[in-house]
Amino acid sequence: MRPEMIVRPIYAVLEREVLKMMAQRGRLLSSLVRPLLWLLVIGAGFGAMQSRHGGPGYQAFLVPGVLGMTLLFGGMLAALSMVNDRESGVMRMLVIAPIEHYWIVIAKALSATLAALIQAALLLVLLAILGYLSLQTSVPLLLAGLVGTAFACASLGLLVAAFSKTLDNYATLMNLVIFPVFFLSGSLYPVQQLPPALHWVATLNPYTHGVDLLKHAALSSPAGAAAPDFSVAFDLAMIIGFSALALTIACVRFSRDEANEPLIHRLARNRAD
Amino acid sequence: MTQDLAIRAEGLSKRYGDTLAVDGVDLSIAAGQFFGLLGPNGSGKTSTIHMLSTLLRPSTGRAWVAGHAVSQDPLAVRGAIGVVFQEPALDRTLSVWENLRFAGRLNGLTLAEINARSAQLLELFGLADKRDRSVGALSGGMRRALDIARGMLHQPKILFLDEPTIGLDVPNRRAIWRHIGRLRAELGITVFLTTHYLEEAIDCDEVAFLSAGRIVRSGTPATLIEQLGRTIVEIESDHPQEIADRLAPRFGVPLIEGDTVHFRVDREPAELGSLQAELATLARATRWRRPNLNDVFLWMSHPALQRRNAA
Repeated sequence: MRPEMIVRPIYAVLEREVLKMMAQRGRLLSSLVRPLLWLLVIGAGFGAMQSRHGGPGYQAFLVPGVLGMTLLFGGMLAALSMVNDRESGVMRMLVIAPIEHYWIVIAKALSATLAALIQAALLLVLLAILGYLSLQTSVPLLLAGLVGTAFACASLGLLVAAFSKTLDNYATLMNLVIFPVFFLSGSLYPVQQLPPALHWVATLNPYTHGVDLLKHAALSSPAGAAAPDFSVAFDLAMIIGFSALALTIACVRFSRDEANEPLIHRLARNRAD
Repeated sequence: MTQDLAIRAEGLSKRYGDTLAVDGVDLSIAAGQFFGLLGPNGSGKTSTIHMLSTLLRPSTGRAWVAGHAVSQDPLAVRGAIGVVFQEPALDRTLSVWENLRFAGRLNGLTLAEINARSAQLLELFGLADKRDRSVGALSGGMRRALDIARGMLHQPKILFLDEPTIGLDVPNRRAIWRHIGRLRAELGITVFLTTHYLEEAIDCDEVAFLSAGRIVRSGTPATLIEQLGRTIVEIESDHPQEIADRLAPRFGVPLIEGDTVHFRVDREPAELGSLQAELATLARATRWRRPNLNDVFLWMSHPALQRRNAA
């Protein structure tokens, strides 16, 4: 198989995702408003409670967490387009293309990663303007943290999408997946201070390690506000390991035509009614 | 012997749970042919198309499309065919051009190729001025035409059309058939059509009737119609059974549909005499006409014809 027969379809999926995201102003806006709400409202509220004890501000601690939040919501909602495409019929264009069906899953993972990164980049600009970013930030660690978190969240979204038949189902799973993933991470509080059971769950949560990489990057001022909980190597290993596993399962699941059969069968039945 | 066949199937079957949707279908369709798979809803037409286009795995049986085995070499098959599904495969939130660019890139085309071919296809289908219009704003007929253009962008040798005119009004159905006619005339492609509007299949080189997953009749439309007889007599009456009993000795076994009695006769209308006068008040209306594919379908399951097929 010639490589351009793979590269061009992947480019097609990325291009369409960006086009659609630019057209959905509300989606972009909410991807910026949600983290700023957490940072400026909840961060300020808890910060006031905590400042009596001294130490670096809670808002500074929250900066990596809200950046991660944008990547988590952005990546998972973009992976939702997999279910959306199945419902709207656009998936037919993808499955009839002369590429192996697992490439569709990989292309969708890449496009969801790209969508999440664009949203995070916009938020970074806003955070810089608001003065929340430190000049001592490590750019390589920041990039690794952004890309790794976005890809892990996109993979998680596709894993959920691969097992969801309809959008309703997916929305339910989002609530069952996205909030636990967010709350059971180091986004809002240091993982080290969690009770042992929750500590273990947070350690196994790939999103925890994405946020931890962002903490390593020392994003916020004052420096050292958000001390990382794990080593960079462990964070990277968890992110890569999880993404590879989740994508493999999604690819296998999607490549079996049985995954599409119930849909085709249901369409045929509806027609007969 | 098979290289001139665009599509070949041997005992193709698909089972969903305990229902056999497609039951041992054999096909051999020559390159360049216009083939129609006909039958009522739920007879297995769509499942057959999905197996031939590699989207469904056959439960048993084998098939080759454009010389490639559907189970062993699905990518080669998908590269050689265009498929227009029953439900449109377009993104309504994008423009006409954005949809074609998306489909073209998915098929590995360069932007220059997509540009040239989409301009040609949009011209052919009368959509040239709609290039930047949102697909959601197009009429149903235009959307279907665009979906066919989408399926033809990578210049497939074989085009599968699953109920291409379903849900369209008469002018739009005619327009779609003009487009398909032009495609066949200009590119000489093989067209595999499914439809339950039987009158639309009259231009097919060959048709096959599918019933409960099995091919029950096949041949050229002209032959199938000829085999039926020269004239169909339709008599509307409040007492259809009485009409049937009275005329059966002369015209053979009738087919009763509600208050209408159909006879197939091998005579010209002029030789039938004045039936209306003869039946007087018993018949509300008497008509005769040439048979068509709808009649072939209606009489297909009729005992009289089945006896003749067996003979």
